[in-house]
Amino acid sequence: MAALPFELAPAIAALPFVSFLIALLVGAFAPRLLPKGGAIPGILATAGSLVLSVWAAVAVWNHPDGMYHDSITWVAGVGDAAFDLQFGILLDPLSTMMLVIVSLVAVLVHVFSLGYMNDEGETGLPRYYAGLGLFTASMLSFVFASNLLMAFMFFELVGLCSWLLIGFWFREPGPPSAAKKAFLVTRFGDYFFLVGVVGVFATFGTTAFVGSESFPILADQVLAGEGASVTTFLGLDPQAWFSVLGLLILGGVIGKSAQFPLHTWLPDAMEGPTPVSALIHAATMVAAGVYLVARIYGFYALLPQVMALIALVGGFTALFAATMGVVKREIKQVLAYSTISQYGYMMLGLGAGGYVAATFHLMTHAFFKALLFLGAGSVIIAMHHNENMWDMGGLKEKMPVTYYAFLSGSLALAGIVPFSGFWSKDEVLYEALVHGLESPILLAAYAMGLLAVFFTGFYTFRMVFLTFHGKPRTDTARDPHAVGWNVKVPLVVLGTLAAVAGLVNMVPVAEVTGIHLEFLHDWLDAGPEALTAHHYADLIPYASGEIGSPLLTVLLSAGVSLGLALSGAGAAWLLYDVPEPIRHTDRLGRVKTVLFNNYYQDEFQVWLANGVTLPLARVADKFDQGVIDGVVNGVSSVSLFSGGRIKRIQTGVVSNYAFLLTMGLVVLLVFIGVTGGWF
Amino acid sequence: MWIEALIAVTLASAAVVFLAPNKVAGKLAFVLSLLPVGGSLWMYSTYEASGNALLEGSTLAFETNYQWVVAGPYSLNWHVGLDGISMPLIALTTVLTSLALLASWTPIQERQSQFYGLMLFLEASLLGVFSALDFFVWFVFWEMVLVPMYVLIGVWGGPRRKYAAIKMFVYTNIASLALFIGFVALVFGLGDSVTTFDMPTVAQALRAGELGSLGPIGPETLKVAAFVAMFVGFAVKVPVVPFHTWLPDAHVEAPTPVSIMLAGVLLKMGTYALLRFNFTMLPDVAQANAQLIAIFAVVSVLYGAMLALAQTDLKRIVAYSSVSSMGYVILGLVAYTVYGMGGATFQMVAHGLISGLMFMAVGVIYNTTHTRMVSDMSGLASKMPFTVAVFVAGAFGYMGLPLMAGFAAELFIFLGSFGAFEGSVLFTAAAMFGIVIVAGYLLLAMQRTLFGPFELETDYEVGPAAFHDVAPLVVLILLVILLGVDPNIFFGMIQDAVNPIAAATGGGA
Repeated sequence: MAALPFELAPAIAALPFVSFLIALLVGAFAPRLLPKGGAIPGILATAGSLVLSVWAAVAVWNHPDGMYHDSITWVAGVGDAAFDLQFGILLDPLSTMMLVIVSLVAVLVHVFSLGYMNDEGETGLPRYYAGLGLFTASMLSFVFASNLLMAFMFFELVGLCSWLLIGFWFREPGPPSAAKKAFLVTRFGDYFFLVGVVGVFATFGTTAFVGSESFPILADQVLAGEGASVTTFLGLDPQAWFSVLGLLILGGVIGKSAQFPLHTWLPDAMEGPTPVSALIHAATMVAAGVYLVARIYGFYALLPQVMALIALVGGFTALFAATMGVVKREIKQVLAYSTISQYGYMMLGLGAGGYVAATFHLMTHAFFKALLFLGAGSVIIAMHHNENMWDMGGLKEKMPVTYYAFLSGSLALAGIVPFSGFWSKDEVLYEALVHGLESPILLAAYAMGLLAVFFTGFYTFRMVFLTFHGKPRTDTARDPHAVGWNVKVPLVVLGTLAAVAGLVNMVPVAEVTGIHLEFLHDWLDAGPEALTAHHYADLIPYASGEIGSPLLTVLLSAGVSLGLALSGAGAAWLLYDVPEPIRHTDRLGRVKTVLFNNYYQDEFQVWLANGVTLPLARVADKFDQGVIDGVVNGVSSVSLFSGGRIKRIQTGVVSNYAFLLTMGLVVLLVFIGVTGGWF
Repeated sequence: MWIEALIAVTLASAAVVFLAPNKVAGKLAFVLSLLPVGGSLWMYSTYEASGNALLEGSTLAFETNYQWVVAGPYSLNWHVGLDGISMPLIALTTVLTSLALLASWTPIQERQSQFYGLMLFLEASLLGVFSALDFFVWFVFWEMVLVPMYVLIGVWGGPRRKYAAIKMFVYTNIASLALFIGFVALVFGLGDSVTTFDMPTVAQALRAGELGSLGPIGPETLKVAAFVAMFVGFAVKVPVVPFHTWLPDAHVEAPTPVSIMLAGVLLKMGTYALLRFNFTMLPDVAQANAQLIAIFAVVSVLYGAMLALAQTDLKRIVAYSSVSSMGYVILGLVAYTVYGMGGATFQMVAHGLISGLMFMAVGVIYNTTHTRMVSDMSGLASKMPFTVAVFVAGAFGYMGLPLMAGFAAELFIFLGSFGAFEGSVLFTAAAMFGIVIVAGYLLLAMQRTLFGPFELETDYEVGPAAFHDVAPLVVLILLVILLGVDPNIFFGMIQDAVNPIAAATGGGA
């Protein structure tokens, strides 16, 4: 009998699922009985999940094993070498931290939705809250999944929910199209993930994350030559085959976490309601990809080539997306590209061996990005659903709560000390630097990540100044719509967190002063041996270098990234913090056009779908109708023609038929035999 | 005696409905069809059997076996019984028929008593196909299925119904001839040791290597030739590319309830027979040619999905997607593992429910809009939200969303086939790409027809569908979710029945 918070763990995901059922069923059959269109059950359920998650986290901390693991058999395998398929719950420091983040953001998003959806007179609220509930439930189940298969299943359900919510306003043409794109692009990634899951089963006979029979442990033993034996395929040795598996699983990560080249769905997903964007970007769908890498870090850490690729993709995506964020007109578009870029940093951190750093950034980003989206939502309410920043300006005086909260989030996003994003992003870059000093590939990834800091500072503050500073540029901006408590409370909570969450892991300060300030590091070291940060640190295939001394390296890394962030923000301040800003990015000329069109990545993918796949399908259809069916019809017209002649042998005498039947059999067999060369 | 009672009650119901007045035929047929549903559920709840019906060491459920006709040295037996492969299919047949009857109330407006009578007759024949264990009895039922199907399409079908009905009839009949010859040749090849068409006897003799020469043809050649003849015969029914072109024509012309039966149950006759005959009786031939069969499977999956992508008629989209889904079944069968073959069997049930659901949903839309062309409509969600909600749920089921039956089935197949034979890793990975294309064409079709601003090319009033149209959809979606959450409802018995086949060929996983 496990402790009570562990016994209650299934309820963490079950509560939002119940709120989904309530919103769905009551909403369909007795909508009047549903308070606030389903918001109240949703808030209660997610609040309950939050309480249970915190309780579980405390219990994990106090537990001697540092974790709780329990599973049931979903499908039992039959036969000699068959494996069971399991559902299980794994509560360890990483998963409970993520559970707290997800349920916290979910409850705040629910509260915020009261202002964004209910107060704005939306119809279809039960459907909205049902979607939110299912989304939260799927994500929470994904987070505490104890094996790769279960993780995949809820990973896919998260995708379904994103489809439901991005396409919430289905009466307009845009949202259904964006929803389709989001599901399809992530499905493309999930295809590789599923092949990976099946491959892991075929290789190890298990997909468990934890325990002596878990696949990361087995892989470690195999590579260390310690007796465990596995089946590899395609004639590859274990190292190469494991890398293939790692890359396959990575496909799902790249799709969900919107990394290059599967990032294209995410900006389109802005068609969904803004609270949904907050949920998707901060805590659920996009976070799922990076979380998965962290979850099976013990496996990835064994694969140096895959790690290097993760770092490169991450660094490249961070820079690539940040440049596109510079020229966007709409506030949510800027945030969308910033999300892609920030998840790039997390991937860079993971690939560079910075498990704690990346997890740290995952946490701080969840707070400040949820904050920025909800802040943007508040601005959008005020602007009567106009999202164009060039129609705003001067909102600072009219909505001070939103402004200061948004500013806190922006400082965190740009990475300005002492806001949370500074500490986490700096740690990511620090890890990339020290390992990059010994590995040119990592150094290249680090350089891209570093350069992106400048752009991040620039686009973030361009957004802040255009939205809140200067003179109002339209009548709506002069007289914005007021927002209520249900909007302000989530902003205040998240604004505070965005400012202070970084204090849990102040590596540079710790290095300089010698005071122990790496609480997150301690937390992530508290779990079972094989899932701890220092175990991963032992596994990673990198050597560390330094510039001068360790202290100098830390200070240099922090100083350079802070300097770049400040210069980006400063450039934005010079250009845009004026009463009547002008479109400076127009001076970029053709570069702007390329950036504005996202390097024509979308065009390329649309061309792949509409210009290649669809025509190919039509050719196949023509071939099918013309050739294959043509042969069938041709045979039948030949037989109809000859049938007229052959009619004469229809004697009606059964023995004749029997004779013909037997002859036919003989002729057929002889024919097959001769053509098949069996004689 | 339960199987006999099941078939007899269904046949008697067919006769009663056939003679009933048109007005009450629909309701009467539905109520009477609940008898076999209840019967099959009762049989499921008391089901006790182990092993595979055709192999030694098995115990069958509800078995009867007695000598029926003696002709010379040969005897024909009335041999019926159920194992873990046929039990789920019996349940599927009865449930789906009842729901299809309910879905007929709106579209079938003339000669109702004949229509409903034939539907019940079809059900009885299908029950026979899935329970018969004597080749002769089985073949009679197999051919009996074609008769009502031919009439149902030819009389109540669309504008080109005659072409479609004749094409289906002739095509599948030629296929039947091929499989008949193939099987009979095997029995003759076994010589004097086997003087019956009893399927277990034949299967065990063949697996024991007792096949001799037939005239000048040696046993190895005979085996391969018979395998090819039977494979082609069943492949038409499945249908496996390139024998599939009768299917879209038949679907497009058939009325909704007939499409439901066609996709939901009739196609499974082909895969069921492949499993029973080719893959159980001649495993060495199948395994020796695993790559070739896998190519048929992969081509069916990908090519079928590409064809679905090219269609502009909702019903054709669903029709071609069946080709794709049934390709997975072939892949699972050729794997010769418990997960693979079990997954294939599970997919027969899962796809039966899901494709039935999709055809039913398309039918409900057609009933109200009188068009099935994707370009003719958009934004139906605002007019018929409930139908659209179920359509969406069904479509995601078709895409293999986790916790729905299709996912479990496909997952089992992939788990079973990955690494099962030489080259299987690449074949499996290639076939799995079908899950991306299926999402592509279904999402695209839904985006265009269900969402966006409401527009409709026809002049019909669009409103919510009737209760008896929507109720079967809801029942189906609940079943799909139920089986997806707990596949053991059927998968346990399926594993038990396919394990002897897999174990004997060395693949245990």
